[in-house]
Amino acid sequence: MNAGHDALRTFRDNLRQVPGRLAATAFRTGAPRTDRSRSTFVFGNVFLHLHSVRTHRWSLRWATTAGLGIATLAAFFITLITGVLLMFYYKPYPEAAYLSMKDIHFVVPTGRFIRNIHRWAANAMVVTVILHMARAFYTAAYRAPREFNWLIGMALLAVTLGLSFTGYLLPWDQLAYWAITIGANIAQSPREVTDALGITETFDPGGLQRLLLLGSDTVGEEALIRFYLLHVMLLPLVAAALMAVHFWRIRKDGGLAKPADVDRRLAPDAGAHPLFTDAPQKTYHLAAIVRGRSPAVGRGPEHTVPSMPHLFYAELAVFMLTVFVCTALAIVSDAPLKEVANPLVPENPAKAPWYFLGLQELVAFSAFMGGIGIPAVVLIGLGLIPFLDREEAGTGEWFGGPGGWPLVRRAAVLGLAAAVGVEAFIIRFGWLREWFPGIPQLVITAVNPGTVLTAIYAAYSLWLVRRFNSTRAGALGLFTCFLGGFLVLTVVGTYFRGPNWHFFWSPADWPVH
Amino acid sequence: MASLDRNKWLLLGSSLGVLGLLVTAAVREHVLLEWRQVQAEVRLDGQPVPVHLRQVVNPALGVADRCVSCHVSMAPGEQSATGPAQSAHPNVVHDPGEFGCTACHGGQGRATLAADAHGTVHFWPEPMLPVRSTEAGCGTCHATAGVPRRDVLDQWATTFERLDCRACHRVDGRGGLLRPDGGGLEGPDLSRVGLTGFRADWHEAHLTRAAQETSRPWLQAWRPVPDADRAVVERYLSTRVAMPALVAAKATFLSSGCLGCHKLSGVGGDDGVDLTRAGEKDPGRADFTEVPGERTLDNWFDQHVRTPAAVVVGSQMPALRLTDRDVSDLTLFTLSLRRRDVPGSYLPRDRMRVARFSEREFASDGATLFGAFCTGCHGRDGLGLRAAGVATFPSVANPDFLAAAPDQLVSETIRRGRPGRRMRAWGDGSAGIREQDIPAIVAYLRQLAGTPESVDTKPARWVQGDRTAGAVLYERTCAGCHGPRGEGLDAPALNNPVLLTAATDTFFVDTITRGRRGTGMVAFAESSPTHPTLTPADIESVVTFIRSWGVQP
Repeated sequence: MNAGHDALRTFRDNLRQVPGRLAATAFRTGAPRTDRSRSTFVFGNVFLHLHSVRTHRWSLRWATTAGLGIATLAAFFITLITGVLLMFYYKPYPEAAYLSMKDIHFVVPTGRFIRNIHRWAANAMVVTVILHMARAFYTAAYRAPREFNWLIGMALLAVTLGLSFTGYLLPWDQLAYWAITIGANIAQSPREVTDALGITETFDPGGLQRLLLLGSDTVGEEALIRFYLLHVMLLPLVAAALMAVHFWRIRKDGGLAKPADVDRRLAPDAGAHPLFTDAPQKTYHLAAIVRGRSPAVGRGPEHTVPSMPHLFYAELAVFMLTVFVCTALAIVSDAPLKEVANPLVPENPAKAPWYFLGLQELVAFSAFMGGIGIPAVVLIGLGLIPFLDREEAGTGEWFGGPGGWPLVRRAAVLGLAAAVGVEAFIIRFGWLREWFPGIPQLVITAVNPGTVLTAIYAAYSLWLVRRFNSTRAGALGLFTCFLGGFLVLTVVGTYFRGPNWHFFWSPADWPVH
Repeated sequence: MASLDRNKWLLLGSSLGVLGLLVTAAVREHVLLEWRQVQAEVRLDGQPVPVHLRQVVNPALGVADRCVSCHVSMAPGEQSATGPAQSAHPNVVHDPGEFGCTACHGGQGRATLAADAHGTVHFWPEPMLPVRSTEAGCGTCHATAGVPRRDVLDQWATTFERLDCRACHRVDGRGGLLRPDGGGLEGPDLSRVGLTGFRADWHEAHLTRAAQETSRPWLQAWRPVPDADRAVVERYLSTRVAMPALVAAKATFLSSGCLGCHKLSGVGGDDGVDLTRAGEKDPGRADFTEVPGERTLDNWFDQHVRTPAAVVVGSQMPALRLTDRDVSDLTLFTLSLRRRDVPGSYLPRDRMRVARFSEREFASDGATLFGAFCTGCHGRDGLGLRAAGVATFPSVANPDFLAAAPDQLVSETIRRGRPGRRMRAWGDGSAGIREQDIPAIVAYLRQLAGTPESVDTKPARWVQGDRTAGAVLYERTCAGCHGPRGEGLDAPALNNPVLLTAATDTFFVDTITRGRRGTGMVAFAESSPTHPTLTPADIESVVTFIRSWGVQP
């Protein structure tokens, strides 16, 4: 009787302690209330330990990164969540796909809103990932020891574009159908060269690429299920894995890139009390020092603050800001849904997704150069930059390095002007094919507005290398020029190309067919 | 710490912003929906109806129509609903609860917003048919077979009126006496008797009843119907298929010669666009730059029928001389040219007969055939057509021509056409003209001109003239109109191989001798101050010369 009474009391006490024990077991090192317990919490949490425990104040300045990486991650999460919601209703089969889009639009509660958010977050992700890359480039953050992370970042850029592109087909409307047809034709562009050489019959890498992409000769049910699988499973998994590596490497490579004299640049922060925690437990033994250069070694942690809460507030703020922007855009602007896909009624002009319109513009000049040649040169160049630019001046500073902001400014003007000039020239005067109708295609492949523009940029960049005696200066110029060219070509492709890819000042001037 | 504070404020601000946006979206997507507000005011037997999305789903027809979310009184089981914008569906054979709305009316059934549902938005290729053209929707499934050309149909209708059948019977919403004892209509409603069929011995049955009945309509309106009129009544009733406007529109179509250039379900010429699915044209892709007024498909068709070349740049279609009634009929009929994949169980009998048993979609009498295939070029009266920019279309109902031409020549011309000219070979099997149609058309032409076939006892080739003299005479008298080598200038070409093989010598000699009144071809045997007179020998020489073009060198 007595023993039973005790057992009941123990049971009651245990029950009473459940919330406390739950919290204790969840946090493992106790509730994160002091800087020290917060640090151990961050260190011990599987997700949070991607951050270092303390964050440099330089990294928390808004101007350092503008939060672009976190914004990209936020956009990824938003597309992930809204995408899963859309998957509840989406049916990946021609016609049925379109009808399910209509149901999502009209009947599923807030379906249209969720799709709008998905669409805007996807576009936001493409924009922020490009801007994020530009930020990393202009602050020379690709330099040692971050070379590999730069390459991971490039892979993430490709995956992001792939995610967006594969999602483009899923609504199965005219816009989707013909955009993907154009995209698949860009994949087929090596045929221009194999055709000119007359070897397409035996060696057809372009046709193979297109076949692999579509699973068939035309965009059809095979392509749809293929794109769906890539979009909802394969590419998100690859992206998530690459992101984990990307973030982990930030920590392992010593946090964000900082100028060498960062401590002198930062004003003493009156509010940064206490700089050391109440209970300093961690000391830097030699064995604990990360191999290689660590920002803390030899300098002391004076300008670091605990990641929790300082960094987490910053990250959460950027996250919510991204959510806000995507939601606001979703309220004011509906994602497009045109007529059901009809292979018999081509859209004219058929346009690829906007971020490929620069490529489509180049493809209009020469399929091979636009689809393979120039993108390959750009990608190889971007991948090689960290290994060619071994300089140290300007790391962690915006437009750091020889030449600096004035150089970038001039390069931007030149990049934009050259692209506008080449476009204006070809729109006004045409190109070799118009002047010499019988000219061999290989000549046009080699000499076309795209390659001419690339050559101008390359020449300017080489001149910069000699002028400043610095690879970084050349890279700054080249990157800026290509960014300008990308901008001009994309804008021309988006707003000024009409039926048959002819130039028009406005869609209002398009002939009706 | 400053940056922490800034980030906290940013987090607070954007979180509140997101919260606000989510609330806005929730309210907008759940409370402010049109159909919810409509349903809130709907009453069924005085009680509010439950507010939820209503729809008619018919997978066989591919229909998922949410129209009834606003048009509640057309939802199955809720026909007595009242409220703003609620009215019962007119009594039709097709139960809206089974067939849905879009199968007949077009529009976007899956949509739940008025503008989207009515399809008057971008990127919806099939907007709702306007109410005045509702019957065009019937064309989606129904073939309306057996329709004659318009004047024939009008004659039938007049006969029907004259016989005073409407005294007892209601047809297309008109006529029919109500019995004074409240027993309903005196006679049955005949509006869809063309679909349901009627007893073959209707006239005998009427006679039997008339002997017994004493009610006033039987005494005053009933008269035995003469045999000729009886056939007309029966044919007229076969066209009463509950879509009078569409049948009338089709009759107009069949008298405008459209099939001369356009194909419809595989029947017709090849010069124009295939019209089989013309009513499905996407108004979003049509060019409205030269079309004043609203951007609707029927407005586009209306304007296009009036001035084809102005609406479609480069159109070869002549601007036919049409009345407003013709234009609205042709517009309605073109709108009705739409198809929908429906399972066999939903295929109406008339479409089934057309699709499976190759029955015609129109009557096969000579008048209708001529109206449907020939009037576009040769005119409704068969007297030809002159239009700027195109070669003159000959007057085929010219009495002088028909007097000189044997039936065999006219038939052969229809069958083999005029190679190189607009007149195609209608007998080649690809235009939907059947062998038995050709005599019907020829007979109609003779009826139109009132000219019987003349008896020609001579062989087809009997002329033995002087070719050289004929060449000189031809050069002097004929070449001005027919061209130096018979290639045809103002007048028809003579060197056409089909003409030269099919025409008899008598035809040529008669035509030159007597001329062709109403055309530039004068009678060369008669003396005249304006042209040289040819002797019979001269004429035979000319014919011999013309014949020489048919000889292969």
